[in-house]
Amino acid sequence: MSEEKDKAIYSADHCLSCTSCMSSCPVMEATQEYRGPKLVGPAHSRMHFSQEDYEDSLDFCSNCKSCDRACPSGVAVSTLNMLQRGEYYRTHPHKQRDQMLAHGEDMGKLVRSLPFGAACANLGMKIGKSLGVFGMLGIAGKRDMPSYASQSFYSWFKGYKQQPSDKKVVFFPGCFINDNEPQVGIAFVKVMQKNGYEVLVDQKFNCCGSPMVVTGYLDEAKEHAHNNVARILEWKAKGIPVIACCTSCSLMLKEEYGELFGEDEMHEAGANVYDAFEYLAIMEEKGELNTSFKEVKESLMYHVPCHLKSQGFGTPAKDILEEVPGVSVELADAGCCGISGNFGFKDDKYEISMKVGAKLFERINISQADEVICDCGTCRMQINHGTQVKPCHPIEILAKAYGE
Amino acid sequence: MKHTDVIVIGSGLAGLTAALASARQGKSVTLLSYGSSSLSLNSGLIDFLGYDDSHKAVKSPREGIMGLPETHPYSKIGMEEIAEAVDFFRDFAKEYHMPYHGSLDKQILVPTAVGTLKPTCLAPHSLAGSESLEGKKKIVVAGIRGLKDFYADIMVENLKKSLGDDLAYETIEIETPLTGGRDITTLDVARWLDTPEGVDSFSKQLLAYKGKKDTAVIVPQVLGTKGHACYLTVSSRIETDIVETTGLPPSTNGLRLNAMFRQALRDNNVEIVENTKVIGSKCEGKACKCVIAEAGVREKTYTADKYILATGGFYSGGITMRSFDQPEEPIFHLPVYSVKGEENWSNEQLFSDKPQGYAKTGIMTDETLRPVDEQGQHVLENVFVVGRDLGGYDLCFEHSGNGVALASGYKAAKM
Repeated sequence: MSEEKDKAIYSADHCLSCTSCMSSCPVMEATQEYRGPKLVGPAHSRMHFSQEDYEDSLDFCSNCKSCDRACPSGVAVSTLNMLQRGEYYRTHPHKQRDQMLAHGEDMGKLVRSLPFGAACANLGMKIGKSLGVFGMLGIAGKRDMPSYASQSFYSWFKGYKQQPSDKKVVFFPGCFINDNEPQVGIAFVKVMQKNGYEVLVDQKFNCCGSPMVVTGYLDEAKEHAHNNVARILEWKAKGIPVIACCTSCSLMLKEEYGELFGEDEMHEAGANVYDAFEYLAIMEEKGELNTSFKEVKESLMYHVPCHLKSQGFGTPAKDILEEVPGVSVELADAGCCGISGNFGFKDDKYEISMKVGAKLFERINISQADEVICDCGTCRMQINHGTQVKPCHPIEILAKAYGE
Repeated sequence: MKHTDVIVIGSGLAGLTAALASARQGKSVTLLSYGSSSLSLNSGLIDFLGYDDSHKAVKSPREGIMGLPETHPYSKIGMEEIAEAVDFFRDFAKEYHMPYHGSLDKQILVPTAVGTLKPTCLAPHSLAGSESLEGKKKIVVAGIRGLKDFYADIMVENLKKSLGDDLAYETIEIETPLTGGRDITTLDVARWLDTPEGVDSFSKQLLAYKGKKDTAVIVPQVLGTKGHACYLTVSSRIETDIVETTGLPPSTNGLRLNAMFRQALRDNNVEIVENTKVIGSKCEGKACKCVIAEAGVREKTYTADKYILATGGFYSGGITMRSFDQPEEPIFHLPVYSVKGEENWSNEQLFSDKPQGYAKTGIMTDETLRPVDEQGQHVLENVFVVGRDLGGYDLCFEHSGNGVALASGYKAAKM
């Protein structure tokens, strides 16, 4: 059996009702409609798991996990919310948009299977946005949907010739980097090559399942978890770690599978997964990081994603990038950006999402920094939407420092 | 393995003070934090010593502290450093836009949400109750419609007992646009008062008392979340003394103080690592070499020249007890003092005027705040213990929690 402390469902009884989570919840700050993490998470879930009783404001939780980080007693508040949401949708119909918002992976595959698929899809989304089609589906009409890159990461990877090496890592790009921002994955591969590593990919991986969990497709997410965990364990048996640049993917693969579903293999697999900069920092501790950096004259403002903070290893991207001559890094330290995965894409949550992000937008708007960096793809979209600044992933700056 | 001069474990008032004071001395500091700071559960008032060991009100904390037994943390810290810590805190608070009033020589009496008066030493102007209430002929208690945990009528009943029923009392209720959703908290109202519309509406509803010098308006802790900016605006608009009460968490004033500390730590380049629980250490002889912290699915090691333990004692898992009479400190396995014998562990009444035996559980130190064993010998030379992890005092009984946290955090940074 997994240890009790690692499974969310057991953690509700550790709640002392101290209200730490309430003071930290960005959604509570933005709206009076949400009853808040304490009542909806631990308090209500105790009842919910024994009877048919649903809390209406459960839908307002964005799963940013600020509550989990605030909790002094280790209660997995947001995961309790996601388990309840999953239960709710077992017996209640989904909204029309949910299918689309939870299954970006399927959309991506469809686009890639058609000739000129990406260009057509991007054009289609532009037309769709101007015709208000997304609004009719229940998707925030003011937002651009993420546009598809002309070439996916996997497709680029096939054509890229690496220096082979005995030191190997498997890269888990996740849906967003593969379909929308392959440049992040490309930068990662080049950084690892500069460090004498060969990067492998495994196309048998599925979407990590994060968009499904937050939209209430829990059973489907569990199927993904089983597939991905089996893949990770196979790589583990070969002594090869799995690395992600997307912090929501890495959090799901490392910790949330275990918290949500509580199977031993999930914890075992989680220990073989790393965030990219977490891994680079471990390499540096061993004296293995290539630190012959070229000068990069840039002052950076760093928005640390919620799902990176949750991983509890600090901000290694800041530490490493500050070693690059010419680079300075300032933390935005302005809370959650508000988009929280697909939360801010829902038309009825759009205003809340923008209200949550307002502090960050203001901080970026008055900042003198040359560039904004952030490890999370949807945070980057939100920053772009709220400020017109186009942020990049810190790994792209590191690639620059290696002259790539 | 990242090395800094100082590692502080814990982000309550003691840890925050230790981190800031260390950084201000030019040290590189890493603050390891698990859970948000306990300041959201803390009034943010700095009580130094409210009651003596027979539960008599202490008039001058400075004199009260002089009379404490030598096992008390204050006796270890020493009056000189306690006074320095007060200056350090007041300078910091002023610099970050919420000056604190008061001194070690007298008590400020702060109204609580039920209308009793609690003694404290240092308070921001909005909470410096007795200083604003003195000489008033009329007290207006302003409740907020829909706000739980603040009942103006109960408050007036009790204020009559504490301030005298010869004063005139009035209760009013402030309207906000926050009703209609969930139950509202003081924090919700304070956030509304961070907005220009909120301040406008709130001040307008108090205009009936404008310029009345013999009147004070008492409100729950709702005057904004950002330092004393909102207090200044509302005070200048109504030209009448306005006084906040303490109340149930979430504590707006604790959150104000926490935000000030976070900003100051950022300005002083302190690295704060969130969501990481320190679970052990490696020591050689009397030197700690590193601490080991949970970082999600794996562990991470942090090294420093000096370690400051601010993990909050029993209340926060800084001290644990699996079997009776065997309290443990889980990170460094320091010796923990506790009263012996089950019968001495607690008195029958939880809320009584007698101390609780268990409350004195904690780590004993010498005057440098290094942990010592029963013979008074140093256990570790580069580990310092602060705040609620210290043994030998009952903070609830004597009202000394934030005072010990502040003074010990400051002193440990100096050592």
